[in-house]
Amino acid sequence: MADYVASALFVHTKDTAYIADLLNRHPCGAVITPITFERIMSDPHGILKGVAHVVISGPLAAVKGMLELAAATGVGIGLVPTESQKNLRRLYKLPRSIEEAVDLALQTEPRAMDLLLCNGRVVLFRATVGRIPLLDAPVDPGKLSILKAAASAFFNIRLLKFDFTPAGGRQIATAASGCIIFQHYESSIASRLISGESQASDGSVSTVISAPISVIDYVKFLLSLLSPSRDRKRLPSAIGYIKSPTVKIEPESELDVYIDGEPAARTPIYCEAKPGAVRVNVGPSLREESRPAEPARERIETDHLPKGKELLKVRKKKTIPFFSYASEDRFRDLFTALRDDAEINNFFLVLMLLSTMLAAVGLYLDSASVIIGAMLLAPLMAPIVSLAMGILRGYDKMIKKSLGKIAVGITIALLASIIITLLFPDKPITGEMQARLNPTLLDLAVAIISGMAAAYSKSFREIIQSLAGVAIAVALVPPLAVAGTGIGRWDFQFFFQAFLLFSTNLVGIVIAAVLTFRMLGYSPAIRSKRNLGMVLGLLILIVVPLYLSYNRIIEERVFERGWQNERFLINGKYIIIESADLRRLGDKKIVVMEIVVRDQLDREDMEEFKRKIQAYFPDKLIIRAKTTFIP
Amino acid sequence: MKQLMYGNILIGTILLVVGACGQESRVAPSGNVIKIGIIAPFSGTDLDKGGEGLKGVETVMRLWPLLANGDKIEIVKKDDGNEPARAVKALQELTEVDQVAAIVTFSGSGPVLAMAGAADRYKTPILATLATHPDITRRSEYVSQVCFDDIFQGQVAAAYVRDELLLDTVAVFRNTDSIYSSNLATEFERKFVSLGGRISDTVSLSAEAKDYTAVLKPLSAKGPELLYLPLKAEDVIGIIEAAAKLNWMPLMMAGDGILATVMARHREQADLLDGLLTTDFYHYTNKLTPFGEKVRHAYDGRATSFAILGVEGFAILCDAMNRCSEPASRECINDKIRTTSNFTGVMGPITIGSDGKAQRPLVINTIHKKRMVFMVKVY
Repeated sequence: MADYVASALFVHTKDTAYIADLLNRHPCGAVITPITFERIMSDPHGILKGVAHVVISGPLAAVKGMLELAAATGVGIGLVPTESQKNLRRLYKLPRSIEEAVDLALQTEPRAMDLLLCNGRVVLFRATVGRIPLLDAPVDPGKLSILKAAASAFFNIRLLKFDFTPAGGRQIATAASGCIIFQHYESSIASRLISGESQASDGSVSTVISAPISVIDYVKFLLSLLSPSRDRKRLPSAIGYIKSPTVKIEPESELDVYIDGEPAARTPIYCEAKPGAVRVNVGPSLREESRPAEPARERIETDHLPKGKELLKVRKKKTIPFFSYASEDRFRDLFTALRDDAEINNFFLVLMLLSTMLAAVGLYLDSASVIIGAMLLAPLMAPIVSLAMGILRGYDKMIKKSLGKIAVGITIALLASIIITLLFPDKPITGEMQARLNPTLLDLAVAIISGMAAAYSKSFREIIQSLAGVAIAVALVPPLAVAGTGIGRWDFQFFFQAFLLFSTNLVGIVIAAVLTFRMLGYSPAIRSKRNLGMVLGLLILIVVPLYLSYNRIIEERVFERGWQNERFLINGKYIIIESADLRRLGDKKIVVMEIVVRDQLDREDMEEFKRKIQAYFPDKLIIRAKTTFIP
Repeated sequence: MKQLMYGNILIGTILLVVGACGQESRVAPSGNVIKIGIIAPFSGTDLDKGGEGLKGVETVMRLWPLLANGDKIEIVKKDDGNEPARAVKALQELTEVDQVAAIVTFSGSGPVLAMAGAADRYKTPILATLATHPDITRRSEYVSQVCFDDIFQGQVAAAYVRDELLLDTVAVFRNTDSIYSSNLATEFERKFVSLGGRISDTVSLSAEAKDYTAVLKPLSAKGPELLYLPLKAEDVIGIIEAAAKLNWMPLMMAGDGILATVMARHREQADLLDGLLTTDFYHYTNKLTPFGEKVRHAYDGRATSFAILGVEGFAILCDAMNRCSEPASRECINDKIRTTSNFTGVMGPITIGSDGKAQRPLVINTIHKKRMVFMVKVY
């Protein structure tokens, strides 16, 4: 059974005067003294002298004014929200019906509540600075609103340098598009992001900072809002959070500050939570919320926000870039691992030698499984991925070391395969070798996809075991072994073709890994245009021969397919071309045909066959025919 | 602005250079006119041969309006109704009255054989585009073929059936009124038997005997795997209809040009011919030469085999005239026709030997859902 006040001052405006009747009719029989808000503000301290409890019903400005007075005088506050003041009702967990709200307002057990002040002004719900797309939106904004916000990110978001100074005095310099400050406000996306952190009476101010460093980063944030399985303990990378009794916010240029949706001040802004500053009759659920015995600990989660050199980049841009970028500190572990990968060590030398030997033997054996074993052993992928990161971030030392390691690997592979070729008394050109002599744009596509997979796998410890699959997809050592075999055979066309495949793989992986790392946000604040130019130059260099090679292969396939419908009547003998395989030996074109005939073909027939082919087909073709007889 | 101007000058220069390289580039007219005769069936049952062939000739004339020396060609047409006597009369008129330099004919083997008998008298080169009888080039040194002959056609058809389709037994039809049909049927039989195949029946049709059901009934009992039908399109359609009535569906193969006739005159019955194999000159899906591509663009509609042979025959004649110092000289034209070597036709090179016979590939097509489907090309 609740206790009620014996008397109360009822502060109202013209619109809420009618509530006085409800208060007077309340069964507790409290003596109600109505007074308008304007009247009380004319002499607040005089009028409130001797008053223990005030019931207020009116616009937010009046409510805030009374809360400010209550903080100064210690009077208890009962609130009767109007129909439209849903946020106020939600803030203090007040009853929905006006009769119940009147009943609660007249009770005698007000709870001490914190009062949030920004630049001395009461903040009931939130204060906002700058652009905070979606953070201030309702908890469940709907997919359309999220998409709209995503679209606006391309044009509207600009990061500014902000200094945040929490109570501890440590100044946090970062870049943000804006921030939202609140104490106990549960109606926004921002409060959802830090759910469980903001309490009604913990003496802290919550500041949620919007700092999407790229469109990708921002889209990731939006997607995290859409995902029901979002990890609520981890903040999205685009969001920072400061919880502290006070916070000072200073953007590099002056911005408007909105308090509870109304323009109220200009930056800089200083916000503080006055612990237990007002005594308010709150709803039962809020009343039961335990008040922490000690003030809440300061919490600062801004390490992932831009800092250092990244701030320089922020200042240069009018809008946020498409791809993310990162400081050295942010991914220190990965960069350290990649630096290690660029170092030559004994493991690398031994594995390179063994994998090449295995590949060379596998090539001579024409054994795909042995060659796959060599691919798995090959340690070349690591320095190539390091090279990609070095190029992206402009780490000259990493580039030099990676290139050095790759060069050493290539030398070992060539030498080992040359020696094995020289040792082999018989030097057949096996199918596995031939398969590595005609690189095309499709091989570049394989290398690019594999490079993306390699960079992605390297970026996440959980999937690093996938690198083995990548190594098989884009074999690096077998083409080198074939190239070495070419030198061993003293056939430089052979060497060139195989080395072109290796170069294709190398360049493809590097380019794809550079792009993937960039998309994953490993780009530095200031990119090295020289290095990116170098990659593009390499790409152009490699694409030209590959394009020609690809075109040639397409032509060959069309040529070979075309032959399957060709027949010859040679001296009355009907020759069916079952298949044709075009091979090149230097500038000679050899067509190996499988032909089906009923009769024996003699030399004269073959001469006529050759004559007809040369008459009807423009290329000078050398014909090799495997004959099957129709019984 | 300057860049735009230089760009235009550059493009203009390139176009001029490229344009001047082709035969169809502008040649100053000499004012001379050379008459070329066309003898073809422009009436009667074979009028589509004349009509389609003439469209081919006109296509070449659009591409090459003048000879290389600027002379203009004037076409003089004569309708022979695909009848030997009329063909010979047309030959006489064209050579004696119209004084043509050469003749292109779209008539069949019968009329061309008749013309060949008289050609030496007139000493006027005749290019037979559709007549496939092997003797037409033997009878006169002034008659040359653009098409393959029936020896090649019959042998290829037999070899295809025997070695490609691996069939053992065939019934062969022949129209005793048609030299073309008889000759082709004979060549087929000879080759098929030499390849170890068996001719289950030889059926002779004539203009009077048209009860195909009665003809097919005893045949079906013997169960030949294929009917070889070197007949006119109307006969082939009649036989197919009769076989359908008997619920008998053997494979069937017809001779050159039948699909062109069906597509021109019996399109509504083309679905009856589903699965019919034919030897032919051309298929529109075959890879075309650059000249073939130009023809395809210049030709109004989809060209039939008759039209393509019209194109190639007239183009070979123009080529021969261009190689003559006096393009109107009949002797020179005839010599040059018979020394045509690797002339770029629509689908590939065509060579005409000193015997007047053309060396060119043959295609085997079939009909599937009213469309011609290419099977193989035989060289």
